[in-house]
This record gives sequence, C-alpha cells and structure tokens, in this order.
Amino acid sequence: MQPFALNYARPAVECKATTPYVYDSGLQLNVTTDGRIAASDHALLRELGTTTSTAGSKTHFDD
Amino acid sequence: MTVLILTGEEDVTADMVVVHLNASSVPVVRLDPADLTAGVALSGEYVHGSFRGHLSAGGRLVSVNGLRSVWVRRPGVPASRAAQSSAWLTEEASQALYGMLRGCAARWMNHPDAARRARHKPWQLRLAQRSGLPVPATLITTFPQAAREFAERFPDLVVKPVSGAHPQEPPRAVPTSRVAPDTDFGAVAYGPTLLQRRVAKRADIRLTVVGDTLLAARKATPADADPDEVDVRFATSDMPWLPTEVPPRVAAAVRTYLREAELVYGAFDFAEDADGTWWFLECNQSGQFGFIEVETGQPIARTIAEWLARPTPEDRDHVKGRRTVAP
Repeated sequence: MQPFALNYARPAVECKATTPYVYDSGLQLNVTTDGRIAASDHALLRELGTTTSTAGSKTHFDD
Repeated sequence: MTVLILTGEEDVTADMVVVHLNASSVPVVRLDPADLTAGVALSGEYVHGSFRGHLSAGGRLVSVNGLRSVWVRRPGVPASRAAQSSAWLTEEASQALYGMLRGCAARWMNHPDAARRARHKPWQLRLAQRSGLPVPATLITTFPQAAREFAERFPDLVVKPVSGAHPQEPPRAVPTSRVAPDTDFGAVAYGPTLLQRRVAKRADIRLTVVGDTLLAARKATPADADPDEVDVRFATSDMPWLPTEVPPRVAAAVRTYLREAELVYGAFDFAEDADGTWWFLECNQSGQFGFIEVETGQPIARTIAEWLARPTPEDRDHVKGRRTVAP
C-alpha cells in the first residue's frame, strides 16, 4: 500500500558534523571560533557544504 | 529604512547577503519567526486611522513602517521555539507577524502569497509551458493504467515527488529516480505520482534570477556518467559548476515566468540535452545560491543585497521633499 514514489526513497543523510561557527546576534552573522565571518570564508563553506542544494530537508522543500 | 531578513540563525547563506548590506551601511534586522515570544517580540497598534508597529530581536527595535524590504529566506515555523509552543500559538504568531508585515509598504523577496503558489510543481510546469519554456512530457496520476500507457509512449521515465517534500517518519529522501522499463505501476493508486520523460542530459543548469539579473551556471555531465544517476543533488560527479550564458529565448521566457508568478527571486533547474535545449525541471522560489556563488564567483549575494537595499517609493518621495509621515 506504499505510494509508488516511495519505492525510490532512501534514508535521509543526517548531518551530524558540528559547524565550526556560531551565530553572533550582535553582528547578525555566524562567526568562526577565531573570530572570522564564516560567510567570507568560501573555502570553509565549500568544505562544509552548508550552502548547497540538498534533498530531504525536514523544514523546507527542495532547493 | 531597514532590510528585514526572516531566517534561522544557522543560515550562513543569508550571512553572505548581510555582509554586503553591512558594507553598504544598510540597516538590517534579522530574526527567525520561530523565536517569537522567546527572543523576538512584536507590537502593532491601529489607532486613529493609522498603524504603528514594531519588531524587536537581538536588542534591535525596528518600525514596521521603516522597512524598505522583507527577505523571506528560511524562516522557521512561527513561535515553534516558544516555551509553550502549540499549533494554536503558531497560528496566532503567524497571523500577527505576517499580517502586520503584509500591511507595510516594504518590497518582498518573495511575497508569501506568491511563494506559496509557486511551490506547487504542477503549477510550475503549466506556467513554464505558457511562458515558452520546453517542459519534458510529464504525467501526474493516481491511475496505474494511465502510468502504464504513459510508459509505453515514453519508455525512458523518471519519478519524483509531486511536492518536492520528503517523508519524515522516518526521515527519507526521494531523489529523482529512473524507472525501469518493466516496472509494476500498481502502487501509483496509493499516491499521486509524477512521471516525466528522462532528458538525456549533457549538463545541469542552475539559473538564478534576482530581479532583472540572470546568473546561470552549468555543470557538465561526465561522458561516462551512470544514466541511472539522474538527480544532480545525489550525483557523485566532480565536475564543477561554471558560469554560462543564458540563451536569449530562455531569458525572455524566464522573465515571463517570474512576472506571471509575481516572484522577484527564482532558482531555475534545467537539463541541457545533446542539442543544447534547456528543458525546464522546476523553479524554486527560495532556492539555494551559496554553493553556486562559491564555485563560480558569480555575485548572487551582492545582487540580492542590492535589490533589497533599493529605495522604496516612500524613500524617493522623501528625497523629493514630499514626505509627510515621520519614519
């Protein structure tokens, strides 16, 4: 009785890695532990994949 | 005049835009509606024929009438982190926040009404057709026989969720997947199923549109790619995203699409076939752009910041000395 599309489902990949930055409400930006603005570090963003289009989001549609 | 950004704290993609707004000295207030009553506060009064409203977050206070634009980026469910969260409180908080904001003169990226409509993929397909974009043959059905007949006409098919949403109990992802020729379509009766002719693609295209600016990126499909690996989000290819030109006919059609959809931001996905035709797959009204900017260097965040920072009609009146209401 499973809908057809779910025959093609796979377990969602849970992102368990902690991001090496935290939100600074004063700056309204995420800041790395050594004080740099995370968004300005493209190498870091590429490594973490936090800006990437993914599937399986709990809160948002495909992006 | 302030730019209001509705998103979660962890949204580092939004940070990319905030950096540009800060560099331009444009005031920004960033908040997550999920934090309403637990770090985010609001107040609005309708008295003597006028409205005065305020939002507060992170020690900042902003007048609703002082907003130049609202960027609905990745907002959480209103009041979902409140101490006594409930479906009722969420509805109350949603009505209060978005109801007040809908009454202000700020420009939206994107307006919630347009955004809600634009998430419907069947609606997207029809609008794309009407806008002049090539759309792969598609069937959405709960009739197994219709699926069988469609598969006879178009033997090479993919299946994908109609909504783009993914099941959460347990958490699963439903990638766009190739359907084998001898597939049993009986289970189509148990849920609307979207079947689409597979485009034998030589590249994926992500076209990000911000206002009037079109920024396209192309990711070539390797010659030895597995034809069953359809969904670029799950592909193992190391091919980079590279900037590419937008064919004039596509550019015109995309502008028509966004105008009809009443969207000012859209991230279009296309599959480019061997003839160079861009086949429309979908348009995500809040699609990710950070990964494209990081790989291509295209100034998407800056373009968004410039759109958000543009003066409102009230600002222009103020410059011309016609303003009669205090900010």
